[in-house]
Amino acid sequence: MIELQGLTKIYGDKTVVDDISLRVDSGEFGVLIGPSGCGKSTTLRMINRLIPATHGRILLGDDDVTQLPVEQLRRRIGYAIQSIGLFPHWSVAENIAVVPGLLKWPKSRIDERVDELMGLFHLDVGELRDKYPHQLSGGQAQRVGVARALAADPEVLLMDEPFGAVDPLTREVLQDELLRVHQHTRKTIVFVTHDMDEALKLASRIALLNTGRLVQYDRPIELLTRPADDFVRSFIGKADLGLKLLSRRWVHQYQQHATLQGSPAASTQAGYTWEVDATGRPTCLHGGRLHAEDRQQHTEVTQEWSATPDMTMKEALSRMVWFRVMVLPVIDGEGRLIGEVTMHGVMGQQPCA
Amino acid sequence: MSEERAWHPRRAGPFVANRVLLVLLAAALMGVVLLPFAAMAPNRLMSGQGVNVAVALLPWQWLSLAGLAMVLALCTLARPFPSRLARWLTLIIAPLWLLLALYGLGDYAFRTLQDASPAARVSQGAAFWILVFCPVLMIIDAFQRLGSGLAVRGFYTAALVAMVGALFASGIFDGLSIMQEYANNRDTFAAEFLTHLRLVGLALGPALLVGLPLGLLARRSPSARGPLFGVLNFFQTIPSIALFALLVAPLSALGEALPWLKALGVGGIGAAPAIIALIMYSLLPIVRNTYAGFAGVPATTIEAARGMGMTARQILWRVEVPLALPVILSGLRIVTVQAIGLTVVAALIGAGGLGSFIFQGLGQYAIDLVMLGAVPTIALAVVADFLLQILVSLSKPAGTR
Ligand SMILES: Nc1ncnc2c1ncn2[C@@H]1O[C@H](COP(=O)(O)OP(=O)(O)O)[C@@H](O)[C@H]1O
Ligand SMILES: [Mg+2]
Repeated sequence: MIELQGLTKIYGDKTVVDDISLRVDSGEFGVLIGPSGCGKSTTLRMINRLIPATHGRILLGDDDVTQLPVEQLRRRIGYAIQSIGLFPHWSVAENIAVVPGLLKWPKSRIDERVDELMGLFHLDVGELRDKYPHQLSGGQAQRVGVARALAADPEVLLMDEPFGAVDPLTREVLQDELLRVHQHTRKTIVFVTHDMDEALKLASRIALLNTGRLVQYDRPIELLTRPADDFVRSFIGKADLGLKLLSRRWVHQYQQHATLQGSPAASTQAGYTWEVDATGRPTCLHGGRLHAEDRQQHTEVTQEWSATPDMTMKEALSRMVWFRVMVLPVIDGEGRLIGEVTMHGVMGQQPCA
Repeated sequence: MSEERAWHPRRAGPFVANRVLLVLLAAALMGVVLLPFAAMAPNRLMSGQGVNVAVALLPWQWLSLAGLAMVLALCTLARPFPSRLARWLTLIIAPLWLLLALYGLGDYAFRTLQDASPAARVSQGAAFWILVFCPVLMIIDAFQRLGSGLAVRGFYTAALVAMVGALFASGIFDGLSIMQEYANNRDTFAAEFLTHLRLVGLALGPALLVGLPLGLLARRSPSARGPLFGVLNFFQTIPSIALFALLVAPLSALGEALPWLKALGVGGIGAAPAIIALIMYSLLPIVRNTYAGFAGVPATTIEAARGMGMTARQILWRVEVPLALPVILSGLRIVTVQAIGLTVVAALIGAGGLGSFIFQGLGQYAIDLVMLGAVPTIALAVVADFLLQILVSLSKPAGTR
């Protein structure tokens, strides 16, 4: 758990961080967001005392961070930054092993931990263990940076725009991986970004900062549906508010019963029916297109044209639009049909409800 | 007709594959034809009569030189040899050329002096030096093109040095004037050589001891940086003779005032002012390179190190020093070569060293005595440069090589 109490940073006569109080509970994914220069990095770096606070307190668990020896404090807190800062003269394994080494773990335990983390981040141990940072791709380097931050199993992970410098495709993958790792490890994370979509995708709580002040600290959905003031409203942006909301909604929340071809309900229910094979996998959709003449059509089910329960509704909607169908099959891990989501379903309920 | 086309560059790519080698070869051949290979003088104080290579060398010797030159000429071309083969051939032939030139000169001196007056002297001419330096440059160029590793270069160089050393040991050069000067100064040569090394060492040790922390200080404290570099730059602008001379008066006064210092050898002339001046000259490159080395460590790497809980000392020794070391050592390389050269001037204020032969020789108009000081100084500088270059390469961390 991390708690900031009246945290303030003043440079000369400029108040860069102004009386911020907030709490990120254990296992939560807290995101600090705000326009560039609003004090996000300064706030983050006061937590591991890279910058001394002018006023206020920071609690890590039950400890005031200023009461701990500073190096000891930092070894309990993982830290990953946009520029990564890998040590160019050390191999991937040596980079990941830094904090365990500082904590004087036995060598065998360090080796085990390095392999475990590389596995967790899909880094090929055989290929990459002894590579040097300059031989890595941007995505690989950033994975190593995050793995390094997690190496000594810290209580808290601080991340300052860690995916800001990688291409959008890799960023998505890294975000998914981070979410997976977070679910797996239940670390307390404080994550800085200026990208609202990233915040909405990752955060369990979002702190919106402006000119050093905390404007709103809430769950993502609340931030979207109950913005505290005009600044929040304008920062979220009205244009795609509906889509942003759907990015915090999941397919399983909208999932409906799917009607099979030839079942008793097939004739009574309007619209469309599914054909499944012997293993229960959907093969074909009858009807389900917008125009009447299309209703006779059969649509082959493909991998891309389907949804999983943990997919966001934003993505599901996007797939419906792209494939020009009013319905998507929802499939489980084995590919079996377990339900459907429909355009009517999306439109029939406001996502803020 | 087809043969004619084969020689046309249209399909065969460039006609000349290695321009550097071609230029070096052309320079060597022109120099050898136009300049004297050796000089013959009736005694050590008279200037010699130039002797052309075809006269100085026996026919088999200069014919071999010419033959080797032909193969080198083929090595410059895109064909018949593939480029890798051409480079390796260069690495075999260039040293043969060099050794043959060395042997030829010694042999000429030996033959000529047999029926000349005992005072007569044979010394090396301009064409000889060209025949020494051009092959060396060819070898360096070939290694660069091959991209050979340090081990290969080191082994090759050691072998070449050993062969030249063997030629010396065989006594083939004993007829040469410079070796006669060496024979006359045999007792003092070793001593002066060691004095030279000692002066360089005594200057570099303290210069490193002071310069490395100053470089780090310049990195850590921007307010100290300006004045520090101002002072060091000022030292560097004082001409060396002037600096040596400027130190004589205060040091002799100091020596007079404090007899125990005088007992230690500190006085107006001798080693003390020389070492102090050398230290002052060495400081700027050492401090500058140390500063640049530390400044080159990425700020984000340091931030990451701090964020992970390394202590300031751990960051210095585990991160900053390893990453800055190659730059610091290149500073040491500059300073070492510079100090070896400047120490020559120190002989003027009685510090000794190889410079004493040079200034004695200049005083006596005995050019070969000058050579006895100059050639070992140059050799020393080249060897030190080479060794430190290896050290610089070795100090580059695996990840940044
Ligand atoms: N050392 C410093 N001295 C003065 N002002 C600073 C210093 N570091 C940061 N600032 C200012 O503090 C503000 C917040 O910086 P920062 O926390 O880095 O913003 P961001 O939200 O973009 O991460 C900026 O306006 C910046 O100019
Ligand atoms: Mg920032």
